[in-house]
Amino acid sequence: MTAATPALPGIFAGFRPRPRWREFQLLAIAAVAILVGSISLGLARQEPELGIENGFSFAEPVHLVIYLGVLFGVHAAQVLTGRRTDQVLLPAVALLGGISLLLMERLPQDLVVQRFFGSALGLAEVQLIWLCLALTLAGTIAIVVRSDLWLRQYKYTWAAAGVALLILTFFLGTEVNGQRLTLSFGPVSGQPSELLKVILVVFLAGYLSENRPLLVEESTRLGPFAIPPLPYLAPMVAMWAIALGIVVVQRDLGAALLFFGVFLLLIYAATGRFGYVVLGVAMFLLGAFVMYQLVPHVRTRVDVWLDPFATPQSSGYQIIQALYAFGRGGLLGSGLGGGLPTVGGGQPGGIPEVHTDFPLAALGEELGLIGVLAILGIYLVVIERGLRIAASAGDDFRSLLAAGLALVVGVQAFIIAAGNLKLIPLTGITLPFISYGGSSLLVNGIVVGLLLALSDKGVEPPPPPKPPGRIRRLAGKVIR
Amino acid sequence: MTGPAAVRPAPPAARRPEPLKPVSRSISQVGIALTVAFAILAGGAGFWQVFQSEELSTAPDNPAVIAAARNVIRGEIVDRDGTVLAMNKTDSNGDPYRLYADRVVAPVVGYASRRYGTAGLERSYGAALTGLNDPDPIRNLLRKFQADPYDPQTLTLSLSLPLQRAAVRGLGADKGAVVMLDPRTGEVLALASTPIYDASAIANPDTQEAGFAAVRDNRDEPLLTRATQGQYVPGSVFKIVTAIAGVGSGSIDANTTFEEQPQAERDGLVVNGFRIREHAGVPARTLDLAAATEVSSNIWFALAGLRTGGDNLSEYAGRMGFGEPLPFDLPTKRSQVTKGDGSAPGGFVDDTELANASYGQARTLVTPLQMALVAATVANDGQLMTPHLVTAMTGKQGTRTIDPRRLERVISPDQAAQIKAAMVRAVEGDLGRQFTSGAKVRGVTTAGKSGTAELGGEGAPHSWFIGFAPAENPTIAIAVLVERGGRGGERAAPLAGSLMSTYFEMFGR
Repeated sequence: MTAATPALPGIFAGFRPRPRWREFQLLAIAAVAILVGSISLGLARQEPELGIENGFSFAEPVHLVIYLGVLFGVHAAQVLTGRRTDQVLLPAVALLGGISLLLMERLPQDLVVQRFFGSALGLAEVQLIWLCLALTLAGTIAIVVRSDLWLRQYKYTWAAAGVALLILTFFLGTEVNGQRLTLSFGPVSGQPSELLKVILVVFLAGYLSENRPLLVEESTRLGPFAIPPLPYLAPMVAMWAIALGIVVVQRDLGAALLFFGVFLLLIYAATGRFGYVVLGVAMFLLGAFVMYQLVPHVRTRVDVWLDPFATPQSSGYQIIQALYAFGRGGLLGSGLGGGLPTVGGGQPGGIPEVHTDFPLAALGEELGLIGVLAILGIYLVVIERGLRIAASAGDDFRSLLAAGLALVVGVQAFIIAAGNLKLIPLTGITLPFISYGGSSLLVNGIVVGLLLALSDKGVEPPPPPKPPGRIRRLAGKVIR
Repeated sequence: MTGPAAVRPAPPAARRPEPLKPVSRSISQVGIALTVAFAILAGGAGFWQVFQSEELSTAPDNPAVIAAARNVIRGEIVDRDGTVLAMNKTDSNGDPYRLYADRVVAPVVGYASRRYGTAGLERSYGAALTGLNDPDPIRNLLRKFQADPYDPQTLTLSLSLPLQRAAVRGLGADKGAVVMLDPRTGEVLALASTPIYDASAIANPDTQEAGFAAVRDNRDEPLLTRATQGQYVPGSVFKIVTAIAGVGSGSIDANTTFEEQPQAERDGLVVNGFRIREHAGVPARTLDLAAATEVSSNIWFALAGLRTGGDNLSEYAGRMGFGEPLPFDLPTKRSQVTKGDGSAPGGFVDDTELANASYGQARTLVTPLQMALVAATVANDGQLMTPHLVTAMTGKQGTRTIDPRRLERVISPDQAAQIKAAMVRAVEGDLGRQFTSGAKVRGVTTAGKSGTAELGGEGAPHSWFIGFAPAENPTIAIAVLVERGGRGGERAAPLAGSLMSTYFEMFGR
């Protein structure tokens, strides 16, 4: 069908363009939604009493042009290079990014000010830059990555790099809001735990796919549950210890919850054994109980969650303001820009850290329940596409890698959304693709890029299965 | 888990494992799990944004409410005749503040101050008065699409300012409460609570500090609305509750007599070793319901309560609102038959407590509003209407009236008639008049019951009266409480009689 397409000149020489009509149509729908949102925000900004009346207009036309330009650019690049990757993922993520852009345009711009070559950039401008970089990164990975060997073969190297990142953060990280999460190198700073989650998935995919047969077939019985042979419990215990370590050292409950949740779901995906999940949850509950008893900030978080109205002016303030915002939104919301004028920032009545921790509450106020449901629905689409890619991947490694990447997005979105909605204690992780933040956006861009690459039907088939690894042989001796 | 899971690993010769289940199956199960998790999120969002939405967005601490209250001109509050009770003035900066027509409405209307927040209807209807919340749910949903989303509502009350004035004047320098309501609709016509306070002084930015300090530092607690939030020992007015429970449950009727009662009037009634004594003035003869109510026999009602049983007493009291804060336009405290921590039926400790509670002593506590509802239940043939003050809300979009709602069918009309007859005897009978002197409205058949709540120790008892008139077709029910006012017949009964007379002069019969 593409045989007749003429070869392209220049850098695209050697590629056979393939149209991606489905992606184009979905992108067009997403673009229309973003345009309508921008108009809505533009209308809400008019204040006749103050003489601000510019009629029918977009909120920030330049932002729109840049964002949609990059979006269709990524699309066009995949068309020109003839990539046969998933066509739903990019539009879904683009819609979330567009919602993020509109929200950042709506919030007070001085929440974030970055000085950049002499000019000061506000919240929306910085977020726009990160969004565009993330989309570009995703598109680049989708096109360039044609082999998974670099991930598959070096899983222990990746694991070591992850642990090194963690240790670096511990010793060199700067403390922000009582959490030691940020690592700075000169002008560049980032949150390594964002990258760590991808590294974790790569390692787990490699480890689990290699040792899957053993994990499924050989087990020790403990009461009604089959638990894995003892040597294979080691990584589980190690993960558990790392998660607890993150809680204690980094004070990052959200990342710990995310890592452990993804780990358990991946183990289940690899083995299909519910007993492992039960065991893992039991370990989690035990750890959570001990943490609650011993670590003060964990206890504070849980107590605030149980009864925020006990401390309405201090520790409960943030979540109470968020609940008020959800309540004000009601079914239909106030419309973008129509919410409480003081939403955000340190202003009275605003939700502290709304742009990173509580975007869902702000969106709940302005887009209403239907908006929140739509956003949750888009996340489900992203998850479903990721898991679909996983289910139809060439071998176990690719399956588990794709599943893990999809779970990283899905579980993270769940944890912070549930925290916003007071279903679980609040944790300070980001809402993927929506929260403000460079590290988060770039890493999620990598995730989308890898998922797209894994979905490509044109890449080389996976290498033949290797004989069981050294650990398996060792374990075999132990068991016998 | 049996079978394949327990199979030993294959011997080394056949090292290649058996074909495993494809991961795709467990991956799709993971997908289902995440879908369920997101459905829970959707449920959580629905809970806050639909079920809790109104409560959250009208919470007095919600910044939207505070912001709206600062700038928006609140709706007015008017009484049943259209007299403005709460109006708006503008200070030197052009900011609005509240002015109240009369101090006597302070317990009902409360105040709205920029500095000290809100109280009374100004608080409980704050969202409607500032227009933050439209009473019509559909319009409230669409409100956000309008250019000016705020539609301050004018509240029309069932309150009658002249009657309210008469009630406050009647209480005079005493601390106490009067509740007058229409038993047919539940509309409250007067809700007095003394001492009153100057709400305008708190609302006016020029006098707010002094005005609020005067209220805050007053040992008589004027901010405590005694009619709805004062919890008092009821004394003999509670006998009507016992009668309702006894007749309602079929344990007693109008002709019930107790063999041991005449003797016990002289010697006391021994219950569980505790001797209940009669007050002076009760003849030692056999009494039925009407006669016992007329002379207010403690012994007869103790016996009636014991026969009715603690569970029935609690059950029927609960039907009239005991045990929970009453559904009302103002915050209310709960009334209790007993503290409820006992192991005997109905939460009583033992029969002694039940017997004492049956004539309104023991650990029984009531609010004046609750006792007005007891009178209204009998007056309205056993059917209790939900009490309310706000009868209409008017905004730019028109008027929404609040129609009478039934709260509970407590007893049947026949049963109510038996109690009504007893309450008529208590006011109109030859002996009854001695206990309820002055409650009788001239030319109108009046029903009622006085109460003298002994508090132990020194000092005068609380003076109570509940009643209604005209007995044939009641249009007004009343509860009067005067703290330390003496015997019921001395203070509360004459006040109730005169207030009901005033009512009939104003509204006809």
